[in-house]
Amino acid sequence: MVSLTGNMLRGAPFEDPAYLPSRAPSAYNPLHTFDLSRGTEKLYSQQYADMYFLRLSQLRKAVIERAKDAWGDFALGEERARMVDRVLDVRQGELCWVVGTVYMEMGLKPNILDDISKEHWIAAPPPRETYASGQDEMMLEDESGRLRVTGDALNAHYVTGCVLAALGTEQADGTFQVIATQYADLPRQPQRWERDDSELVVAKKPKPKRERAGKIAIVSGLEITGKVDDELALDLLLEYLTGELGGAPDQSKTTKISRLVIAGDSLSHSSPILSREDFAIKKSGKKGYGYDASAYNSSPTERLDFLLSQILPTLPITLLPGASDPANVALPQQPLHPALFPQSRQYANPPVKSNESLEGLDSVTNPWEGDIEGWRVLGTGGQTVADLLKYVDEVETLEVMEMMLRWRCIAPTAPDTLWCYPFQDEDPLVVQDCPHIYFAGNQAKFGSRIIQGPADQQVLLIAVPKFSLTKTIVLVDLETMTVELVDIGIAQAAA
Amino acid sequence: MADTYKEYLAARVINDGRPVTYRLLSRAIKVNVNIAKQMLYEFHSNQNAKKPKSVHATYLITGRKGDFKHTNGTNGRDGEDTLMQSSPPYMSSIPSSMPEPEEPSEIVVPKTSIVLVREEELEKTKAEFDEVTSIHIYSLESGPIENLNILSVCNHEIATEHANEDPLEQWRTLGSIHNPYIKRRVAKYSPPLPATASKAAPKPAPKPSVTTQPKGNDVAGLVRRGSASEDNTSGRSTPQPTVGASNTLKKSDSKVPLKRNVSDIFKSFAKAKPKAKEAEKSKETTPAPPEDDQMEGMSEDEGDRNDTPEVKFDDEKAAAARKAREDREETLRKMMEADDDDDMPDAPLTEENDSQDAPLDKASTSKPAESDHVIVQGGRRRGRRRVMKKVTGKNEDGYIVTKEEAAWESFSEAEPEPKKHKPAPVKPVSTAKGKKTGKPGQGNIASFFKKS
Repeated sequence: MVSLTGNMLRGAPFEDPAYLPSRAPSAYNPLHTFDLSRGTEKLYSQQYADMYFLRLSQLRKAVIERAKDAWGDFALGEERARMVDRVLDVRQGELCWVVGTVYMEMGLKPNILDDISKEHWIAAPPPRETYASGQDEMMLEDESGRLRVTGDALNAHYVTGCVLAALGTEQADGTFQVIATQYADLPRQPQRWERDDSELVVAKKPKPKRERAGKIAIVSGLEITGKVDDELALDLLLEYLTGELGGAPDQSKTTKISRLVIAGDSLSHSSPILSREDFAIKKSGKKGYGYDASAYNSSPTERLDFLLSQILPTLPITLLPGASDPANVALPQQPLHPALFPQSRQYANPPVKSNESLEGLDSVTNPWEGDIEGWRVLGTGGQTVADLLKYVDEVETLEVMEMMLRWRCIAPTAPDTLWCYPFQDEDPLVVQDCPHIYFAGNQAKFGSRIIQGPADQQVLLIAVPKFSLTKTIVLVDLETMTVELVDIGIAQAAA
Repeated sequence: MADTYKEYLAARVINDGRPVTYRLLSRAIKVNVNIAKQMLYEFHSNQNAKKPKSVHATYLITGRKGDFKHTNGTNGRDGEDTLMQSSPPYMSSIPSSMPEPEEPSEIVVPKTSIVLVREEELEKTKAEFDEVTSIHIYSLESGPIENLNILSVCNHEIATEHANEDPLEQWRTLGSIHNPYIKRRVAKYSPPLPATASKAAPKPAPKPSVTTQPKGNDVAGLVRRGSASEDNTSGRSTPQPTVGASNTLKKSDSKVPLKRNVSDIFKSFAKAKPKAKEAEKSKETTPAPPEDDQMEGMSEDEGDRNDTPEVKFDDEKAAAARKAREDREETLRKMMEADDDDDMPDAPLTEENDSQDAPLDKASTSKPAESDHVIVQGGRRRGRRRVMKKVTGKNEDGYIVTKEEAAWESFSEAEPEPKKHKPAPVKPVSTAKGKKTGKPGQGNIASFFKKS
């Protein structure tokens, strides 16, 4: 039952350990799509309206193309569908289609006026699991105005911020009865190694001979608290990744892992903006000014630093911040600061020198985009998915992720219900290149699926579960695009 | 390694009653983790043969659990057979707004389970597995443990007691996976490893790829932006050959422009120079650095930190020297101030980065002896300089008094323009300053009288 080499239950004489191959190399070429400019160039004085305008103008062309393909010769009875440029140009009784941004008017959506009046309530209502209230209205807007839309075709699957084309007629009461909708669908997908190769061509270097790619390991939601309870699982994770755990067969499998991606929420309760509960706890404590050494607990960060510094000698890490990490809270979250990692940052390039570390610790943005082994990988810490899930009922994480890509916007609900930087000139949250792998961290459970686009794009979607709850590591083979799970269990004594 | 493990385990598990994991054992007696696992088993079976139940074990099982239903039996490990992107070509049908009318392809995912289990539950847990790929003893304890979480103390111990080994070399002895691509920056104050030095390093060069790393890497790649205290406090170290250090010391000497003079004068106060040279010599004869972490902040006056007691130098000597040469100090300070002013304009851009390092500098502030040198790396000057700080405190009578005291402060700034530029700006500034302070007083009064 136990394979021979893997059975370490044998004593003297001690055999020399089996030869362990070196770690597979990691071809890594991050993009800096989501880096914000620094210092005074980072302005928060702009209006968010620009983002919607940008998004619509960036996606309009693609949506119109899709809609023309689908509805070009669509006719209802005698009447042919006609495109209308602006939502306010829709005429009653006329079969037409129009492109606009969805806006959902939802009963339970957070409202700043509610928030203010909440201050006067005795007990605040619990945080919302969903924004849907039953009498929600959907609207389609563009720079000219808004159009109330209804229809079975909507099925409550759209959320604020996604751009789509709607085919229908305006009813007597002024609402737009929708028959069908179209969205931009997956954008162009780069070839494997496309970016690396073009860089090589520019540099006039020959293409290297590329070895068989290894695997990446993705974990998210370590949620280190610094308490003893979660230590052992983290130890096992560490020992697994360094290849110390298990017998020779498992260890040599581990050598195939060429990179670890930590997809957000490495620390728990470390967000600079406290949650309502944390705030209440803090408020009840003693009041004082300035830094309070007794109130600040550094052990979670130290633990994370230690964990990373132990993994780093054998495995490069890409570290994304998440909702509970000490980064900025507005998307795109900027990289976790190296000062948090006094030990592990020795494996990273100093920020003055370079903003990326190809080998070692690469602290990146959330969302993040880059090339691993030639494949375009797009990942988030999961806030975008979590927020979108509040808009819709009975929709799974993977469906949400798929729709985000098809809408070509990985955070459609920002800036409506998700904090977001007010982009002015371009919105990086609009997907320009279709990724090969799209992962979202901190999901309730694991899931993976391959979706396909109109131009034969193939995207592997991965919902990465929280490590703190599921103790699961996701492995993706970058040659075959297959997914594996590694599950760490601790059998506690039967009571 | 023959029987040391038995002594270690007996002392620790049986006498002290403390748990030990294979990982801790491997670090304690420096053997491969896989041998350590076998040693634990050997010890466990021997002891329990002598006296049943004297040693308790926890096991680690890796394999596939029974609840996992795989389509293709056992060869699913490779995963090839699970690639099913069989969803038909994309179809957009007008009435459906959702893209996938048909059920999308959920991928069947192979799952490896790693389970840590006490010996009591071993058989039961093993039965849950379809296939066990490996099994070994994870830890030994003196008796049954209720909560496995206490095993994490072993890794804590590794962190605290076995931390001062080079993490990039551990794979050789301990058998973790070796990654030839990973580089680690060296301490902030240590000069970059020259290629010759890495050859002279006490440890044999592991692999061509490793030795070539420092060479291929440009200088700045090795520069550690972090504070030296990281290494000092954590006790971690990089093998830092002295020979190399002294080489680069000369290098940096020649490189560093005029500003260095300021700190050189301070150094002469410390009277540390001859000693430093001695130290260099003695170290050169013993290539293996005894304590690596001591070497971090090395440069011109390296060594003196080891020879002269730091505290003495810091407080008494420096203070004495200061009092004795008050006048010279005065002029010097002016120069320093001029320097500082001069530096300010180019500071802000990078200040951000460094100021965040500052809080971590605790340890190094207590060792100012290493301080008064400047390292130029990757276009940045780093080092420590003496500044006058105002310290407010109560005196014996209970009055609040403000004293000016010399204090050390780390700095890092963009490298100054090439040598020749330096003297020019310094002097004009200082003279300009003198004029300014002089002029307003004199000139104003004179003009006042003239006008009147």
